[in-house]
This record gives sequence, structure tokens and C-alpha cells, in this order.
Amino acid sequence: MERYLRNHDAISASEQTLLATKRVLVVGCGGLGGYVIEHLARIGVGHLRVVDGDVFEESNLNRQLLSSTMNLGRPKTLAAQQRVMAINPLVKTEAFQTYLTAENAGELLAGCDLAVDALDNIPTRLQLQQSAKESCIPLVHGAVAGWYGRVCVIQPGDDLLDLLCPPGCELSAEEQQSGTLSFTAALTAAWQAAEAIKLLLGKPALDGEILEIDLLRASVEKIKIKKTPN
Amino acid sequence: MIKVNTDDHPWQSGMTVRNLLDEKVFTFRHIIVRVNSEYVPEEDYENYVIQDGDDIIVLHLMAGG
Repeated sequence: MERYLRNHDAISASEQTLLATKRVLVVGCGGLGGYVIEHLARIGVGHLRVVDGDVFEESNLNRQLLSSTMNLGRPKTLAAQQRVMAINPLVKTEAFQTYLTAENAGELLAGCDLAVDALDNIPTRLQLQQSAKESCIPLVHGAVAGWYGRVCVIQPGDDLLDLLCPPGCELSAEEQQSGTLSFTAALTAAWQAAEAIKLLLGKPALDGEILEIDLLRASVEKIKIKKTPN
Repeated sequence: MIKVNTDDHPWQSGMTVRNLLDEKVFTFRHIIVRVNSEYVPEEDYENYVIQDGDDIIVLHLMAGG
């Protein structure tokens, strides 16, 4: 198919066919989520389920790909669905204008091969980790703050977020003071999308490691991390 | 010698987590420190003594999207 010609041979024909059968849940359609959805739709993931209860505000315009001056006040999930339809109508999109909660997480994850954490707060991220574990679905985590980004893959039971967000830290994350920059979100989301595609295709992905991106110093560190036995 | 994230770092007898953070100029306001996987709360930075050979992870606390 000509649409996917430039995916080859980085993605083989059989892998392309395989991607079309996959369903990915993207939780959050803001700075990270907008770019993640863009990449997954363009590469040809067959089904995207996008979740966000928020609407666009003017303060989103500095970084959120799906936001524009034309859709302020409108649901982020609607913009995501329209964007996917415009760039790749072969991708089926389900949009849920809601926030992920303990009550709805199981339903949102049902039938998905993978989930992407593109959220903006620690409590909901921890809930998603817990629900993905219960559903036995791998989770690709991404977070940003100012010039810094982070990506890791959380396999069911890894609970890596517990290490990154110890109890009591829920309300004090860095980005509340340092903001979020467009290129940081774009790069971090691109890395999340790459990890997602590798997982969907059964290729080796990040495993017990976190990728620390520092755009201010132009460096990337891959740090081994393991859960404390307790 | 100790390991800090991916780098080797000189060890000094009696050095604390606070000494290390100052030496490495970790300036973020919200930092997570783990020594040999064990979480070190901020209130213990001044008194937690690092041993030669320790594996230390220092991360920013971030959750933006």
C-alpha cells in the first residue's frame, strides 16, 4: 500500500499487517498524547482508543499538537478523532471524553494490546498503572517538565511508577513550576510511540530501565532501575 | 567509587546524600533519591551516609504531559 511505502523496510510488510490488527489505548490527548496519537496513526496502528475529559485552553497552544485557535473550548478527544480521520482513515478511532478512574479503567483497557500513559498528574498515572496490571496490559509511560522528559515501559507487575513517584509526592511534581515546552513533549512522545510500536511488534523494548531526556544539556541517559523488595 | 545514575563518581568517607546532591549540582526542587534501590526521604539527606560502591539513582519528580 502506497500510504505505508516509506515505513518499509524499517517495518516489514508482515509487521505492517500485524500493526493493523492492534488496538492501543492512549490516555491523555494533550502535549504528549497529541503527538503519540499522530505517530501511531501515521505508522498504521489499526485501532486507537483515546481518552481525555478536558477541553482545549489557550495555555495549551504552546505545545499541544491537536490544539489551535480554532478549537479552544472544544474536547481534546474530538480533535484527536478528527486528526486521525484526516491523516489516516484506515485507523479506527474510539474517543471517550472522560477522565480515567478506578471505575472506568477496566472498560477502557478491555481489548487493548497496549496502553500509553500521556497523562499530566501522578494520581491518575498510578491508577492507570494499577488497572493496566490488572488487565495484564503493558504500559508506556511518558512525562515531561520544562527541558526534561522521561520514558519507560511498565510491564504488568513492574510497578515502576512506584519508584518514580514515592508516596506523598503526588502534588509536588516539577512541571508545576518549570512548565512544559513543545519540543520536550514532541520528543518524549516520539520515544513513547517508538517503544509502543516495538512492543506491538514483539521487538526488544525498554525493560527495567528509564530513559531520562535532558534537552538543556543535549543528553539522554538510560538508567537501570528495579523495584525495592518490600 | 560510587555510581550515580549512569556515571561513576568519586566516593569520600562520610559523604552524605546532601553532599552528593551539592557536588552534582542537582538543582531541581523535587528530587527522588534511591541508594541501592532504597528510597531516601528528603528529611534524611543530611544524615544518610553513602558507602563506597553504592549505586545511587537521582531523578526529577515529573508528571507533566
